[in-house]
Amino acid sequence: MTSLLLSPAEQDYIIRGVESGFRADGRGSLDRREVSLRTGMISQANGSARCRIGNLGVGTDVLVGVKAEVNTWAPGEPEDLGSIVCNVECSPSAAQEFEGRGAEEINVELTQLLDRILNGPQSGLDLKKLCIIPKQAYWVLHIDALVLDVKGSIVDTLVWATRAALMSTSLPRVVVETIADEMGNMQAEFDVVDDPDDLTPLEGAKNLPISVTFSQIGKRYVVDASEQEEAVTQARLTVAVSPAMEICAIQKGGMFRGFPPSLLTEILETAQRIAREELTKFDIHYAQAKLHLSSQAEEPSTGSTFLVQF
Amino acid sequence: MTMEIDEAPQKVGIAARIVTPGTAITNDPAFMRGHGTFSEHDTIYSSVAGVVERINKLVSVRPLKQRYSGEIGDIIVGRITEVASKRWRVDVNSRQDGVLLLSSINLPGGIQRRKSESDELQMRTFFAEGDLVFAEVQSYFADGALSLHTRSIQYGKLRNGTLVTAFPQLVPRSRSHFHTLPCGVDVVLGVNGYIWVSKHVSASKVEANAELIYSDKNEPISDDEREVIARVANCIQLLNRLYVKITDTSIIFAYEASLAHSVKDLLTNDVAVELAHNVMARLEQQA
Repeated sequence: MTSLLLSPAEQDYIIRGVESGFRADGRGSLDRREVSLRTGMISQANGSARCRIGNLGVGTDVLVGVKAEVNTWAPGEPEDLGSIVCNVECSPSAAQEFEGRGAEEINVELTQLLDRILNGPQSGLDLKKLCIIPKQAYWVLHIDALVLDVKGSIVDTLVWATRAALMSTSLPRVVVETIADEMGNMQAEFDVVDDPDDLTPLEGAKNLPISVTFSQIGKRYVVDASEQEEAVTQARLTVAVSPAMEICAIQKGGMFRGFPPSLLTEILETAQRIAREELTKFDIHYAQAKLHLSSQAEEPSTGSTFLVQF
Repeated sequence: MTMEIDEAPQKVGIAARIVTPGTAITNDPAFMRGHGTFSEHDTIYSSVAGVVERINKLVSVRPLKQRYSGEIGDIIVGRITEVASKRWRVDVNSRQDGVLLLSSINLPGGIQRRKSESDELQMRTFFAEGDLVFAEVQSYFADGALSLHTRSIQYGKLRNGTLVTAFPQLVPRSRSHFHTLPCGVDVVLGVNGYIWVSKHVSASKVEANAELIYSDKNEPISDDEREVIARVANCIQLLNRLYVKITDTSIIFAYEASLAHSVKDLLTNDVAVELAHNVMARLEQQA
C-alpha cells in the first residue's frame, strides 16, 4: 500500500520491536495514536465528520459527508428498503502514489469494505426505516469519504469518521398522506418538510459497528500501524465489531501472505475485547465533538491548523 | 502572471516580523532585495512565508519551512533511492537527489585497496536501495546536485535504530553532528533534517571489524535499550513539531524532562507542549 522505502536494518528494528511488544514510538501492540474527531463540518450535508488518527497534528485524515436523497422505486429493487451508497476517494495530495490512476485500486478496496460493513442487517441501521412508501419512494444515503492524508491505518480512521458522520446525520421529516383519487383508489403521497429545524436523527446509528485493523508484523500483530509499520506489514485484517460485541464484517488486506489459523482466532478474540474500549473511547470523542459544535458553531472550519484539533 | 498583493504599497518599517507571500516589506528605494523577496512598482514584497531579516541594506525573508540546501562540509543522513552506474542516488531531503560516487566511498579492505571492475558489479553489497547512509557533502555538481562522500571510519551505513525526520532549518550546523548522549543512545543529527537515533556501539568495535561498515544486521537490542531509543526519538519528534532547535543540548533537556512521562504519552498534545516549554525555558536560561 505504501511506497515507503526502508533499509533492512530499519525493518528488522521494527519487526523485533513488535515481537517484543514495544513499538518504535513507544506504544504497546494494542495502543492507538491520538484521535481527533469533529462533526458537522459540511453544512450542505445531512451529516458529516472528520477524523484524524495520529500524533501532534500529523496523521491519517478522513472527511466523510452523508447526503440523503429521495429516490423513486424502480421494478427489481427491494420493495420496502432504503439504500446506502458508499464512495471512498483518496486525495492525490495525501500521498504520492495516489497521483493519477494510482488511487483507483485502494478506492475500490475501501469502498467495498465500507459497503460490507454498512450494507446489510449487520450494520445496525434499519434499512426498512429508510423506506418512505413501499414500491414508490425511499431514502438513499450517499456516504462520500475523502482521504486527505495518509500516515497509516486508513481503514480505522475511515470507519471512525463514517460512524460519527452517520451518528450526526438527521433526515428531514416526511409527511405521508393517503388520498383517494377520482377512481376511488387509495393512493399514498408524501411530502418532504423543508424546515431545517424539523429534522429527525438517523435511527439505529448508535448500533453501527466499529472497526479494528490488525497488521501482522513478524510473528505478532499490532493495532493502528504507523506508516513505517505498514511498510513491513505482511498481512492485514479488519474486523468490524458491533456495540453488542458481535463480529459484523471481516476483510483481509495485504498481498504478501495469510494468517496462520491460531493467530486468526486470537485476533478475533482480541478484536471483540478491545472493541469495547474503542467504543467507549469513540463515545467520549463524539461527545466532545458535539460539545465543540454547539459551543463554537460560528468558528470557521479551517484546515489542519497546527495542534488545534482541526 | 500577476501575483495577488494584499497590502497597498506604503511606508513600512523593517522590524523583525513574520510575513506571508505578497506582503509589502518596504518601499524605501535604499534597500536591496535578497532571497525570498521580489520587487514590483519600487516596492519589495515577500515571496515566501517567513521572518524578515536585514543585513545592512539587504532585505531578505527567511522561510519558516524550506527544503534542505546543502553546503560543502555538511554532515547529512541520506537514503539510497537508486543504484546507477558507478554511483548511487541519495534522497537528502533537498530539491534534487544527491549523488554518492563509487569512488567516494571506503571500500572494505583498507584505504590502500584499488577499486576494481568487480566492485562496480557488486555495488549493492555496499549500499542497496533503501539503505541509510551517514555522509558528508564533498562538492556540488554543475546542476546544483550534491556530491557526497563517506571516506571516514565514522561515516557509512546506519543500523541499530530508527530515523526521525525533522525540518532541516531546525538542525543548526555545528562542530559535531555525532553525539553519544548520557542515556546511552547515539544520535546523528543530519543537517538535512534526517536524524538517526540508535543504540550506542563503540567506535573501536567497528574499527576492529571492517565488515561491519556495510552490515545490514542489527546488534541484539534489549527492551530497555529500545525504550530509551524510542524516548529520544519521540523527544526529537516533539521538538520538531513545536519548532524548537534540535541540538544535543535540547535533546538532553527534553529527555530529562520527559522522564516523568511514559514513552507513548510523549506525543500527546498536552505533554508535548509542556515539555517543549520546559526545554525552551532551560535553553534561554543557559544562554
